[in-house]
Parts: sequence; structure tokens; C-alpha cells
Amino acid sequence: MIGNRVYISGMGIISPLGIGVLETKDAILKNKVGIRPISLFSVAKNKPLPVGEVPVVFEADPIPRTHALARIAAAQAMEGCLEPPDAVVLGITTGGMLTTEDLLRQKETTPAAFQYHSLTSVTEDIARRYHCTGPVVTVSTACSSSAVAITIALEMIRTGMAGRVLAGGADSLCRLTYYGFHSLQLIDPDGAHPLDKNRRGMSVAEGAAMLLLTADRPHHAVAEILGAGLSCDAYHPTAPEPEGKGALSAMQAALDDAGILYSDIDYINLHGTGTRDNDLAEARAINALFLNKMPIVSSIKGASGHPLAAAGAIEAVVSAIALSDQRVPGNVGCREPDPELNLNPVLQPTKTSLTTVLSNSFGFGGNNASLVMGTPRSSGQSAAAAGRAKPMKVLGSACITGAGDTHKTMEMIYAGKPCSGIISLEEISKNLAAAGVRRLKRLPRLVLSLATSAHENSQRADTPSSVFLGTGWGALSETYDFLSRLYETDEQFPSPIDFVGSVHNSPAGQIAMKFQATGPNITTTGGDYSFEQSMMTASLLSGKTDAPFLLIGADESHHKLSCLLDRSVSAGEILSDGGGALYLSPEDKTGGLYINLNHYQMATDIPGVIPSLIQSLGGAERIRERYGVLLAGIPGAFRKQSAAQLSEFLTSTNFQKPVIDYRKLTGEFASASAVAAVLAINFLKQGTIPGWLLKGENLPLHGKGALIIGLGSFITAMEVIWQ
Amino acid sequence: MQGMEKLIDELKHKIVSSLNLIDIQPEDIGNDDQLVGGDLGIDSIDILEMVIVIERDYGVAIDNKEIGQQVFKSLATLAEHIYQHSPRLST
Repeated sequence: MIGNRVYISGMGIISPLGIGVLETKDAILKNKVGIRPISLFSVAKNKPLPVGEVPVVFEADPIPRTHALARIAAAQAMEGCLEPPDAVVLGITTGGMLTTEDLLRQKETTPAAFQYHSLTSVTEDIARRYHCTGPVVTVSTACSSSAVAITIALEMIRTGMAGRVLAGGADSLCRLTYYGFHSLQLIDPDGAHPLDKNRRGMSVAEGAAMLLLTADRPHHAVAEILGAGLSCDAYHPTAPEPEGKGALSAMQAALDDAGILYSDIDYINLHGTGTRDNDLAEARAINALFLNKMPIVSSIKGASGHPLAAAGAIEAVVSAIALSDQRVPGNVGCREPDPELNLNPVLQPTKTSLTTVLSNSFGFGGNNASLVMGTPRSSGQSAAAAGRAKPMKVLGSACITGAGDTHKTMEMIYAGKPCSGIISLEEISKNLAAAGVRRLKRLPRLVLSLATSAHENSQRADTPSSVFLGTGWGALSETYDFLSRLYETDEQFPSPIDFVGSVHNSPAGQIAMKFQATGPNITTTGGDYSFEQSMMTASLLSGKTDAPFLLIGADESHHKLSCLLDRSVSAGEILSDGGGALYLSPEDKTGGLYINLNHYQMATDIPGVIPSLIQSLGGAERIRERYGVLLAGIPGAFRKQSAAQLSEFLTSTNFQKPVIDYRKLTGEFASASAVAAVLAINFLKQGTIPGWLLKGENLPLHGKGALIIGLGSFITAMEVIWQ
Repeated sequence: MQGMEKLIDELKHKIVSSLNLIDIQPEDIGNDDQLVGGDLGIDSIDILEMVIVIERDYGVAIDNKEIGQQVFKSLATLAEHIYQHSPRLST
């Protein structure tokens, strides 16, 4: 299948270099440095470190700074576009953290105060402002987040799933990243000097950038996204693999995806953070790939600092500006290029002929993304084959609930008892080597244990090449412990171990290391629909190869944070957590048990969502024939809205089979739907659903499938079927 | 050198508890054992955690990688560095 071409139809940018494309161009032309000592928040008794701070104050806004930055970039990118985007895909790592840090310090206990904490609240805010009803995806893969977001958007358009996608990223400065990177000794006290012989580290920064990507060629096309490549080092939680193998593999994958050769690249916008290890690993990868035909290279991070999740999108905009102006930005901050790197960066903005550029973004967890962009080609179809969004074969599965592992959970379910609650850290870790997980707290242990069990359950000799994780809230223990110790020590002694563990993609990085999974490693987050979001990402990206992969949904409960952040969890209630993992194959030849994401749509204040769901599932008659049981995901916070949605669905389809309100069994946690998927798989394997539902014998399924729908602020549908 | 012995003993306990080392007792760590990449299973992130612990408990900052590599060679080199630089230990 040959996919659609993907054009940049609009761009928005706000960074330490300025607001908007024109200011950014001007800053690049003047080699402006946007790095100076932090003023956004006070830093107790510490000497303020240089950061890339956007010189704007948003005092009047009730929303956190990341949201405000995202709104500005989105407004620029959407200017002149009268139609809503079909999807919004953003890379975010800090979200509402700057606000949450203040609230936690003030010991705020009102959940409403934390309503903008989540990363997905940024993406949902942008989607609502531009009336997007389609998929909303939030990628959190540390410093490659927005480059991965653009990769997902690219596939959405290539496959025809969407015609117009708003993609990008946003992150504001906050104490977590400011002190976290400092505790890792990755900050240059004099500001970042990428590629310099005497470089000592990066400068943490902030910003947002968005691209309106379209299948239709705009009148004034700026550039095209020609290809993208993802990889994972599977080497270390923070440090890059020293030889740059992961970076090389992402760049090679991007070239292959674009259908071009290394010799076609005219310019590389480097990740170039200014840390000794990053710049060296990236340089080794580039030297290995480009051999004797080295393109022009430069990093802008000596000018902008490193805006973390926003970096990939900001540099995609900078690369598009380079293509349209035929001028590459200078490697600001580099005084004497490090001879060991053998890169020869341009130090001043330089006019040159450019048709194809590569932009690199590498992050913690060895998460690598490379984008290939070019001047608009003659129209026609993309050279790259589009991924296949289709049912995925279930090779193995596992869940963890308050009852314990899969076996114990199924025992409880067939006995008609709930599996809510939480199990101990020791029980979670029983299939993990103690020394290997000594630094890991609850979420990464849940995720590693699930991955291990799902893989074992498959009884297969092969191992996963890619990992897709959906989590509603990420690593709450590490985040809470990091901030607690920071405050207790008057901002003197933050824990680097907790910082490393606090990033959303840290658990998926652990899986990559365990299985040496060097393919895409993507963590997405979307509240109660995080697992479904991850499944969508997996179905878009995993189909590019035939290799098996892991799809996981998991969340930890936290005694302080869960009831503040998750509106379905009430204070004083018994906490529940856990998740589900599936070992899946994109190949479809052999028959067996399959899982498929049929529907994913925003629901609040949008009319016609249930008819749209029924249509996605092939109509009422097909639904009645195809499914023997319905598992309904009804988050506590949306019980009333969900009940109305469920009732409309049942009435419209005249569905008479059993309906399981599964959160009554699992308890309330964001990724409960991952457990529901594992329950459904086990129902189909056993051929029955538990009899207590009908107060009788276990009910045979007669080969029919299970439908799992998510209700509330989004409407989702997954099916588990024999095929 | 009684102060030095006490310091080494303290450091052994701090390493085991701060890094949550499994199956290792403080007395298992030899004064001249290789700290990083050896049998203790300690890596660069652990060292950064120890840097913070040492700054907090002894007022000694080890804020660059080159010095860090020398100082964290073994328990003996670490204790020596702290002993020489700590305002809390010097008399």
C-alpha cells in the first residue's frame, strides 16, 4: 500500500528564540542566544542556572504555562484554516507540573485545583479549541516526544485515517526538570555549548511548536514530511549507547521510510544538546552513516536550550524555515568544535541549496526519533509504504489486579467476586530479579512484571521488538518522592534516581532493556483511555514490520496523588491499581485470537457519538451477531454521562447479551481497560463468560467475540475475536 | 585514623541503604573494591545519588565527572576525599 504525501500547511512556534515564525527567523539570522539565568521561579538558596525561558508572563490565565504555550503555537499553526483537524497529536512531558508543584507545596487538597495536571489535558484543550472530535494522542517519550508525535501524525495521514492533523509538542520549565537534570550533572553552568570541545552540558528550556499536516497540498506549501524513523537504544535509563547505535538505526529507518539515500541529505539539524555523552554518541552515529558525504550540520540548542518534549517540533519548524529560506541556522555557542566529534558544524547562519534535511531528537530511555523533511516534491503518492491499521494477533496476555496475577484474577472473576484493591510491591515483583529492580518503584515494577508474564504466557521463543505503553498518570511514586525531598531539603538535595524514574517513558525503557527491544518504544497517555490510545499508536506503527511487540496499559495508585489527580478516585476510598499486557503480532496469516481498536473519539459536548460508534462497528445487526459479551468501561467521574451513553448504545443496537460494568470488578484506575482486554481474551479462550452474571451456569460464547467499550469523555471500542 | 574508620563504616551503611542494594550487607563492601561496574552492581545513576547524599551529610560537593571518577574509584578513595574536604570532619 502506497500512502498519501504529507504537507506542512501551517506552523506555529514559541520558544526562547521568539514568538512566531518571523521572530524565530530573525533570531536565527542574528545568531541570538535565548539562554539566561532562570527568573520564572525562585530557586531558594541556589545560584540561578541558565535556562531557555520564553520571555512571556501569563498572569491572567487560569491554565498552566504548558497549556498557554501550546495555545499560542496552535493558534499560529491553525491561522487561516477554517476546518477542524481530524486529529491532534502532541508530545508533552511536564504538562501542568509547574502549577502542581506550587499546589503540592501549599498542601492543596481540592482535586479541582489539579484538573490541568495531566499531560493529556494540554492535548484535549487544543483539540476542544479547534473543534477536533477525532483521535487525540499525547506522546511522552521524554526529549523525543514531539518528533514521535509528528511520526504518528505522518502515519495517520499516510494510511488515510486522517486528512489533517495538528501535531507538535509543548513543555514549560518546572522545578522537576530544572532540578532533575541538575542532579544528573547534565547542566552546563555557563549555558549549553553544543559540539564545543569544552562543552559541559545542556540548558533546560521550554516552548511549543505545532505543524498543521495535511494530505492536500496547500497553495503555499512550505515543506513536506518525507519520512520518520524510530528506535530504542535498550541500553540505559538516561545515557545514550556510546557508539550511537540507536541514533544510527533511527536515522537509517527515517531514510528508508522516505525512500532516499544518505547522500540525499543536505543538512542535519542535530539533537546536539551539549552534554558530552549525547553529542559524542550522535557524532559517532552520523560519521558511521554519512561516511565521506557529510552533510552540513548544526544544533540550535546553544541558542534555544533544550525544550524537552517540544524540541522535536521546534526543530521541525526550524528545519522547515531552513528549507523555505535556503539557509541553515548557526551552531550557536560552539567556540571551538570538538575534534573528537569530527562534525565541523556551521557556526553562522549560512545560505546554501537545500532540498532534503534530517532532524534528530533523542531522549531518556534511549528513545530516538529522526524526521526527514524536504521542499515540496511534485505531487503524487508518497514513496513510503503506509502502516497497516488492522487486527493484531494475540500471542500472549497477562494482567495484575488487586486479586494478584492473571490466574488469581480469573478465579475471582469466575467466582463472582471483585478483583479490586492493590497487591504488595513484593507480590508484583515475584517474577522479577530483585537486584535488577532495586531502584524501581511501583509503576515500573507493574509494567515489567506484566511484560514478563505476557511474554511467558505466549510460550514463544521470539522476543518483542517494540513496546507501546499507555498510562494515565505515569510514575506517581517517583514524582511525589522527588518533589517531597526537594521541598524537605529547601531545594538542596533532589534525588537523581527519583527524577530518572519520574519520566512517563521510564517503565517502557525498562522493558526495552530487559528484552533488548530496539524498535519503536512509545509511551502515550490519555487518562481513562490511555490503553486504547496506545493500541491506536501500536496499530499505526507496528504494522511497518512483522515483528511481535508488547502493548501494555498500567497505572499505580498513590496514597496522596491518586485522589487529587484522578477524578474517579475519591478520598478515603480503597485504592485499586494494576494493568494488562498483550504480546501481539501484526501478521495475520495463521488465524487465532485477535484484538482490534475499532473506535476512538472525543465525546463531551459532541452530538452523535453513539451512532458514530455503532457505524464504526459495522451497524447494529453486525454487533448483535459478532459479540457474545459487552465489557463497559464506566469511569466513576463520568458515571451519569456514561450510563446515558450505554443506554443509547444498547437501545440502538438491541444488544441482548450480558453487559459487564468492569470497573465494578477492577476498581477505579485509568488503565482498567487493559485489564478488561485481558479478561475478554480469557473469556474467549475458556469459551464462556462467568455464570454469576446471569445467576446461573457459565454461559458459552459459541465462538463469538467480546466488545470492550470505553464511555465518558471519550468513546472507544476494542474487540477481541476469533479469526 | 579512628575518625577515618568510623567514616568508612558510615559510608558502607549509606551506600547500602540509599541505593537499596539487595543481598549486600555493609560489611560485604571492601575498602578497595571497585565501586562502579564491579560486583556491587553500582552504576552511574547510583553514583549521582551518592553525590547528593555526600553533599547533604558531609557538605562535600563532587560536581564534576572528572573528579567524580577519581573519588568514586573505591570506598577508600571516597572516604579520603570526604575526610580531606568536609568542613564537618576537619578539626
